[in-house]
Amino acid sequence: MTAAVTDLDRLLSRKSFIELSARERTKALLDAGTWRELLGPFDRLHSPWLEMQDIVPQEDDGVVVARGLIDGQPAVVAGIESAFQGGSMGEIAGMKIAAALDLARQDHERGIPTRPVLLLETGGVRLQEANLGLAVIAEIHAAIIALRPHVPVVGIIAGLVGCFGGMSLAAALCSHLIVTPQARLGMNGPEVIEQEAGIAELDASDKRLIWSLIGGEQRAAVGLVDQLVEDDADAIAEAVRAAFRAGQPDSYRSQQIPQFLARLVAIDPALVTDGPALRALWGKGEQA
Amino acid sequence: METFTFDYPADQKATARAHVGVVGSGDLEVLLEPSPDQTAHVRINTSVDGYGQVWKNVLDRFFTRFRKAVRIEINDFGATPGMVALRLEQAVEESRQ
Amino acid sequence: MVQSLDTGTAPRSWNKRGQDKARRLAAVAPWLSGKVLPSSRIVEALEVLVHSGDRVALEGNNQKQADFLSRSLAEVDARKIHDLHLLISSISRREHLTLFEKGIARKVDFAFAGPQSLRVAQLLEDRKLEIGAIYTYVELYARMFVDLTPNIALVCAEKADAQGNLYTGPNTEDTPTIVEATAFRQGIVIAQVNELTDELPRVDIPGSWIDLVVVADRPFAIEPLFTRDPRIINELQILMGMMVIRGIYERHGVTSLNHGIGFDTAAIELLLPTYGASLGLKGKICRNWTLNPHPTLIPAIESGWVESVHCFGSEVGMEDYIRARPDVFFTGHDGSLRSNRVLCQLAGQYGVDLFIGSTLQMDPDGNSSTVTMGRLAGFGGAPNMGHDPKGRRHSTPAWLSLITADSEVVRGRKLVVQLAETYQKGGEPVIVESLDAVQVGKNANMPVAPVMIYGDDVSHVVTEEGIAYLFKADGIEERRAAIAAVAGATPVGLKANPRKTEDLRQRGIVAYPEDMGVRRGDAKRSLLAARSIEELSAWSGGLYQPPARFRTW
Repeated sequence: MTAAVTDLDRLLSRKSFIELSARERTKALLDAGTWRELLGPFDRLHSPWLEMQDIVPQEDDGVVVARGLIDGQPAVVAGIESAFQGGSMGEIAGMKIAAALDLARQDHERGIPTRPVLLLETGGVRLQEANLGLAVIAEIHAAIIALRPHVPVVGIIAGLVGCFGGMSLAAALCSHLIVTPQARLGMNGPEVIEQEAGIAELDASDKRLIWSLIGGEQRAAVGLVDQLVEDDADAIAEAVRAAFRAGQPDSYRSQQIPQFLARLVAIDPALVTDGPALRALWGKGEQA
Repeated sequence: METFTFDYPADQKATARAHVGVVGSGDLEVLLEPSPDQTAHVRINTSVDGYGQVWKNVLDRFFTRFRKAVRIEINDFGATPGMVALRLEQAVEESRQ
Repeated sequence: MVQSLDTGTAPRSWNKRGQDKARRLAAVAPWLSGKVLPSSRIVEALEVLVHSGDRVALEGNNQKQADFLSRSLAEVDARKIHDLHLLISSISRREHLTLFEKGIARKVDFAFAGPQSLRVAQLLEDRKLEIGAIYTYVELYARMFVDLTPNIALVCAEKADAQGNLYTGPNTEDTPTIVEATAFRQGIVIAQVNELTDELPRVDIPGSWIDLVVVADRPFAIEPLFTRDPRIINELQILMGMMVIRGIYERHGVTSLNHGIGFDTAAIELLLPTYGASLGLKGKICRNWTLNPHPTLIPAIESGWVESVHCFGSEVGMEDYIRARPDVFFTGHDGSLRSNRVLCQLAGQYGVDLFIGSTLQMDPDGNSSTVTMGRLAGFGGAPNMGHDPKGRRHSTPAWLSLITADSEVVRGRKLVVQLAETYQKGGEPVIVESLDAVQVGKNANMPVAPVMIYGDDVSHVVTEEGIAYLFKADGIEERRAAIAAVAGATPVGLKANPRKTEDLRQRGIVAYPEDMGVRRGDAKRSLLAARSIEELSAWSGGLYQPPARFRTW
């Protein structure tokens, strides 16, 4: 039963993507030696609102925007740092993402085929910045929709924070959405649901249950994301390259309104009460 | 939140800058860059109030070994003194690369 | 003067305990089928079998709990049964203290009260609870064979057959010891089991030692207490782990050892296949272990570092992995783990080269304690291993390497290593002028302060600053200087004299990372052989099945 030596080497050399900071994640996706950061910490473009509320800011406001090449083509990667304020979207953080997407669109209009990638590790809007955060999330949505006819917008949710709130809509708008098994994707986070609807509705501490409902594997099995990749930096970088090589999807998920309405109608709330039941109903093709 | 500033004498010039860490639970962000004058300047924003003396102790110890004219800015989210010392060392190490 | 033999009084009985036991059992005999008592009768039966003032050993340690029996005991009528003297290794469940609130029990002898330590202190103040003494595990069991023999033992097992044979399975832990102390001195042994079966996987305790078996309303409670999620290990813990491997394990050639359950020792376990291997230490250190089956040990086992592991108890989720590695773990003919707390404590005391564990507080002399204000947490098992056993007579290279005296008659020393980050999260210094334990001891009228590990037993102190090799220090002043030299920015550390520290470094009594070739910049999480529970599971080939609370996929 002892694992073969090659297996041990593989286990030892495995490079977890989840382990990496947002800055390291953006580096891991760009071709070696091409990474350069825009509006980095030394530009000190931090939130003007947090200090007024007695909260220590981070000099990049929790978003890393990096330019470089993917597969030899110009690219921009915007990565959210989930360790800072739960990856929440404040005015500066969100505007950095929206501006990056907008500049990528302008590149395309000038004939520069910039490839956009979003790392969506976020609880959603930053409550301390309220309406400004919501407004900028709407700008991100608009920027994705404006950019995606030019080039696939690739989103990645790696974990462990997950992607929630208004930013889950940003994830859903992406042309190609990649998740790991550790990712979670949903509108309201489990803790919010438990708080609002009670523990009988959802026990947020039951991790097996939570992942069976909104975890990466489940979301892939019911067709709400495009690709499930294991937590490995090289595998994820390869998945990103492959997504750009594959080009535009046949249609966007956000345009499949009749299909999703039909899927919703098919649900009997009395019967479909857990993850496996939804998989049985919505699962595309044969189950593994 | 509390803010502290400290100055230390320096006798070597710094050339490079470095950024390490994140403003996450039990951690901190350190920005290290050359100082415009012949003194080391440290500015700390910390989420935990009332530890000015401990910050001074940690920095006093750091600057007995480090004599460069740098500007250091720290955004702290409840790091222990051990973690602060480690991040400072890492910033120095990164600025040498 | 010898009493006259023909005074006419009845001959003295030499079997009062046995006769008493027979009378009590006779009262419940009509309810039994074989040795099996219907679950619905348990409270009634306890009211007959237990008498006021009895010493009752209630099985409950930091892992498994005879919770059906403790809940049932809390339901007896306190007018019928009161003033019990409880012997319990870990006060960890609410109902343990309900017994005192209701007056069913009055006195307790215990070893650990982690989760209930605040309530213990409160009941003590309210005079509803008397403490006989606070022990280490082994001491408490030792007294069960001396002057605290139980009248009643309430224990738990996974399965029983109709003859009362018990299968305690991977979590055998304390059961055989408590049963032995009770059964062989005519006490009554009652076992709760998860199920009755005709054929047991193996017999852990023979039926002739057991008086009554009752099926519990739900399987006995068990906590995954030894699972440390590698995601939470930070770079300081990795730095300290590197120092321990380099400056202690390699330096002293430590081949047999016990690890505590902190994240810093988990870091060491995960550094062996990476950092340890890069130093060429595989096979030279850390071969034989006495510790619970920590999931963080899986990568070291899989990469061939570990020859043997003997366990105090088991760990939830590790059952299948252990079953698949019988060359490493102690397993029965049925394949499952056999643990035994007392024997593992004994092994950890006399059989191993080194104990290493974390502490919450240490004073300038190296005394350490996990007791903090307002809490009476007790000792558990750490002091059993965290001392230098003076009765040891066999030699190993590590034990001999601590000899400093130059004499014809010398003895070696066990390595007792205390790990401490100089400050806790939240800004409290760990190295302090005076232990909280001193004041807590005074407040609770304890005869001596509840010290976990005494400074004179500690051979090495490791902080993120460096290692103090206390065994080499000459006299108390030099010990204090060595501790201060690694105490960082704490008030104790600030008193270190730089020139004295330099002298101690020159003489090898204090070592900083650079003195042992450890680079602070190398202390990265990427150096851990596994950085998450899912990677541990992958290392085990899927055999380790983590409890739900540790799953993030």
